This record gives sequence, structure tokens and C-alpha cells, in this order.
Amino acid sequence: MIESLVAKFLVQNVEQYFVLAFVLLGIGLFGMMVRKNLITILMSLELALNSVNIAFVGIDKMNSLIDGQIFALFTIALAAAEAAVGLGIIISLFRLRKAENVNEIIDLKG
Amino acid sequence: MLSQIAFYLFGSISIICGLGVVSASNPIYVVLWLLGALIAISGIFFSAGAELLGALQLMVYVVAIAVFYILIITAVPWRKLHKNEQHNRLIGVAVLPFVAILYVEAFIVALSGVSLSKNKIIETITKNYGNASTIGIKLFSTYFWAFELMSVLLLISMIGAILLGRKEEKTYD
Repeated sequence: MIESLVAKFLVQNVEQYFVLAFVLLGIGLFGMMVRKNLITILMSLELALNSVNIAFVGIDKMNSLIDGQIFALFTIALAAAEAAVGLGIIISLFRLRKAENVNEIIDLKG
Repeated sequence: MLSQIAFYLFGSISIICGLGVVSASNPIYVVLWLLGALIAISGIFFSAGAELLGALQLMVYVVAIAVFYILIITAVPWRKLHKNEQHNRLIGVAVLPFVAILYVEAFIVALSGVSLSKNKIIETITKNYGNASTIGIKLFSTYFWAFELMSVLLLISMIGAILLGRKEEKTYD
């Protein structure tokens, strides 16, 4: 039983990449829900984006493809754009409203 | 075998650092945990044979974006940042069981041996050209329009960030 489990863990397969990507995605989503500070919410979002890259690379390795790495490159570029815009929004939010936590931005509360 | 050990090592490091990202209260420490997670993920990329992607991860994410975050943290006032409660504990306690159930489900599925793996197909191409040039060939032939669109997106986001971050005289307290 234990030997077969160990043997299963030593064989490289695509599911382990998926499991790791899923765990990291869950951690990132959990951080996005739990965190109050806007900057740390964005950082959790970066973690979730990176987990998707892990899944892409795992599929590439197991199927000898190259396309997933190209999509991962696009994801990195997208994350850079998202970080620039998001941090600009944070700076302007702080400058205009003196708010940096999500529970301080209550202007649209009905 | 060796790449498997490297995968488990880097994977566990990235998970530990991800938990640090979620749980640390000081934002500077959060940036440091995020740096650790990103470096471990680039290690996973290297061990999986995606050298170009790992190098770009190190150059773009670890250097550029993390430094960017530290700049932003220095731009907001430190006293207020440190005084406030950093976590939404009620939501955390409410959501945690569902996350745990999802994880248990994923591990059961992975251990029960659902397989998606296939045989090697394009390995000869990557053997002949190597990782970086193969990605370059694909990127500038098959995915050329996506590449161009991505460059336009980066330009638009740069303009948007400059517009959003400019100084205004009026504040709305």
C-alpha cells in the first residue's frame, strides 16, 4: 500500500502540477477574500495568476507542447499591466479619498 | 527522479510562501513572502524545462513587479497601514471549510489516478531548436497577432496608469 503510494508520487505526471496550481490558486483566492488592505489583495491576485502559469507549464512538459509557455508569457505581460493599473488606482484612491482598506471605500453604499 | 525531487521541493516552498502571503500582517513581509513564492515558482519552471519562462519570471516578476509593490507601499503612509486590522477574520473563518473541502477533493482525485498524460509529440522540435528559439518561432508565427495585441494592451495600461496616478488639486474626503 505505502510502496505503491510512494511509487505513485515518484512518477512524474501532469496531475501533480494541477494539484499544486490548484492549491496556490486557492491560497490566492482566499487571500483576496480575507485581506483588507488593497495592496495585499493585489499581491494575492499575483499569486493566483502565477498558479495558472504552473498549470500551463505542467501541461507543456507532459505533452511535449510549447503553446502553454507562450500563453504563460501572455499571462506575465497581463500581470504586469494589471499591477500597473491596479497600483495606479490605489495611489489615486489614497490621494483623493485617503483610503487604503477596502472597508473604507463606502461612498457607493446605498 | 531528480526533477521530481526538485518539483516537490519548490512546490512545498511555494505553498509555504503562499500561506505567508495570506497570513502575514506587515505589508513588507507580505512582499517578501510573495518574492519567495515567485522564486520557487520560477524554480518549478526551470525544473519542468521551461527555461525562457523561468528566466522571464525572475526578470519581470521578481525584479520589476515586486520592486513596484515596495514603491507603492512606501507611497502610502506607514502609521495608518500598520495600525489597522489587516484581515477580515469573519470571512476567513466562514470560507476556510469550503477551501479545505475543495483541497481534500482535489487530492483524492489526484491520488485515485485520473490520468491526463499523453505520449511525447513535439519533443523532436524542442530537441532540435531548444526552448527559447522554439518559443520565439511559435510566438512570431502562430501567435503573432496575440503578441501584437498584448503589446497594445501594455501601451494602453501604461497610459492608464499615468493618467490614474497624476496629481489633482481637489480631494474628496
